[in-house]
Amino acid sequence: MNLKSFIKKFSLVALSSSLLFGSSLTVTEKTEAAQQKGKIVVAGSSALLPLTQQAAKEFKKANPKVAISVSGTSSIVGPQSVSKGSATIGACDWDATKPVPGFSAFQGLNAYPIAVIPFATIVHKDNPVKNLTTKQLQDIFAGKIKNWKEVGGKDEPIIVVNRAHGSGTRVNYQMKALKGSSFMTQGENYKEVSSNGNMIKAVETTPNAIGYTDLAYIKGNIKAVAYNGVEATVTNVINGKYPVWGYGYLLTKGPATGANKAFIDFIQSKKFQQGSLKKLKFIPITAMKK
Amino acid sequence: MALPAEHVRIQHEQTKTKQWRIKYMKNNAFRYACLASALSLGVALFSIVVFISQTGFLVFKDVSWKEFFFSATWEPFEEKYGAAVFIAGTLYLTFLTLIMCTPIALAIAIFVAEMAPNWLKNVMRPMLDLLVGIPSIVYGFLGLTILIPFIRETTGTLVGDGFLAAALVLTMMVLPTVTRISDDAICAVPQHLREAGYALGSTKLQVITRIVLPAARPGILTAIILGMTRAIGETMAVVMVIGNTAQFGWDLLTPTSVLTSNIVMQITNVQFDSTWNYALYMMAFLLLFISLVLIIIIRQLRPKGE
Repeated sequence: MNLKSFIKKFSLVALSSSLLFGSSLTVTEKTEAAQQKGKIVVAGSSALLPLTQQAAKEFKKANPKVAISVSGTSSIVGPQSVSKGSATIGACDWDATKPVPGFSAFQGLNAYPIAVIPFATIVHKDNPVKNLTTKQLQDIFAGKIKNWKEVGGKDEPIIVVNRAHGSGTRVNYQMKALKGSSFMTQGENYKEVSSNGNMIKAVETTPNAIGYTDLAYIKGNIKAVAYNGVEATVTNVINGKYPVWGYGYLLTKGPATGANKAFIDFIQSKKFQQGSLKKLKFIPITAMKK
Repeated sequence: MALPAEHVRIQHEQTKTKQWRIKYMKNNAFRYACLASALSLGVALFSIVVFISQTGFLVFKDVSWKEFFFSATWEPFEEKYGAAVFIAGTLYLTFLTLIMCTPIALAIAIFVAEMAPNWLKNVMRPMLDLLVGIPSIVYGFLGLTILIPFIRETTGTLVGDGFLAAALVLTMMVLPTVTRISDDAICAVPQHLREAGYALGSTKLQVITRIVLPAARPGILTAIILGMTRAIGETMAVVMVIGNTAQFGWDLLTPTSVLTSNIVMQITNVQFDSTWNYALYMMAFLLLFISLVLIIIIRQLRPKGE
């Protein structure tokens, strides 16, 4: 038997067996989940995008008749496009049915929490400051405390790096860490960046900088600062000691129905929360004690 | 006997007119295809201008034009929409970029066109073409990770972001475009002009500055216009190194903001149909308007009769 015919036969066997195996798999899945039809359009937060994308992939496998499209731009786009009707589900880093600093509440929307996102204050790795209190953070981000030595660090000026107004991370940090106090808006030691990636780059390359980001992003030349003496860790978020975190929400116009409800139920299901969601470094909503 | 001959003649003429008709049709079709292409560009530009200005001018319902153009306080969440910082910033940054870029670009172009040996020309030109094609985000990233720490260390400033960083990144970006087009313009100067100069006893410097450059002036101006429009409209690279803070940065080292960077930072984060949104559209309209005015000014600078 020459090599060619061997490869042919081998691939035939492999193909047919994989087909058999594959079809048997889909059959079990079909019987498992009730078949959904319809259209799901998810728009909004880019922080929640990896999560909604993964969920869409898995949901589509179980419900091949549903058409899902997922996109991510910024949090405020979520509630806006749902209100306008250009999306069926809006992803947002805060509960858009309630007013938050800088944004009024959206009427007629329903919010479903899908994940817990922890945030942390970050500084350069070489910065000796380990802990900051709420009051100190409020004063630093308002531009009142200008030197690291005032909070127990070196005699160096503090450089404040902030996210742009409207960023979901900024809204959550302002609400939870700064308790709603305002940010400074100008000064020669102040700059704004456009994304989490740029925030990390800026703090990494600026020894005296202070900023904040999602806990999952912290690695390399930056470190998280403890908040009122509590370390920023996933464990401390779950046991309720570390308060700087927020829920990520999916929003629908009125109560969710049909395929959209099934999709939200799927994301909130134990299987997804304990599986893919944890792998993507989010914290399951069920982990929080209410 | 005359009949068949007449018949043949008529037939011949018929086929001839048919051929002519096809030729005319082709000719006309080509004309209309060209016209349609030109028109579609016009329609696209026109609808952009109409759409942006329509949305943009709504801002003046809530904000006086005096405040928008002359106030430097940009705090939209406090209902303060002064865009003077961004307008002045865009003009200043473009000016800085051109000042830094033009002499260097011209020197490189003269070197490539007039002095470099052939093998070096064959290396330099593809290299410059490659540089033109590098995406702006790459320049921005290099600026953020290498240039800004460098500026901070050498000048002792706090942040490092600002006009100096932005202008250096933009110069780097615009340089290859300006160089390549100037190079082409210099090469297009007829050889006999140079030979006449040498025959009269001119040195190389005299030939280049008194003969070649004046003769290539229209092409060089085009190069500068193209470089300038790219500098005005550049967004991604600028937003990464300018600091994005609504304050004047005349000293080159204070974090500041320009029209493009401010639009891209905020446009996805504002509510539809809000004054803030209209203000950002108005800024986009201003960008269009500023580049139009600058292009007209530079075109006027050209000597008459060209």
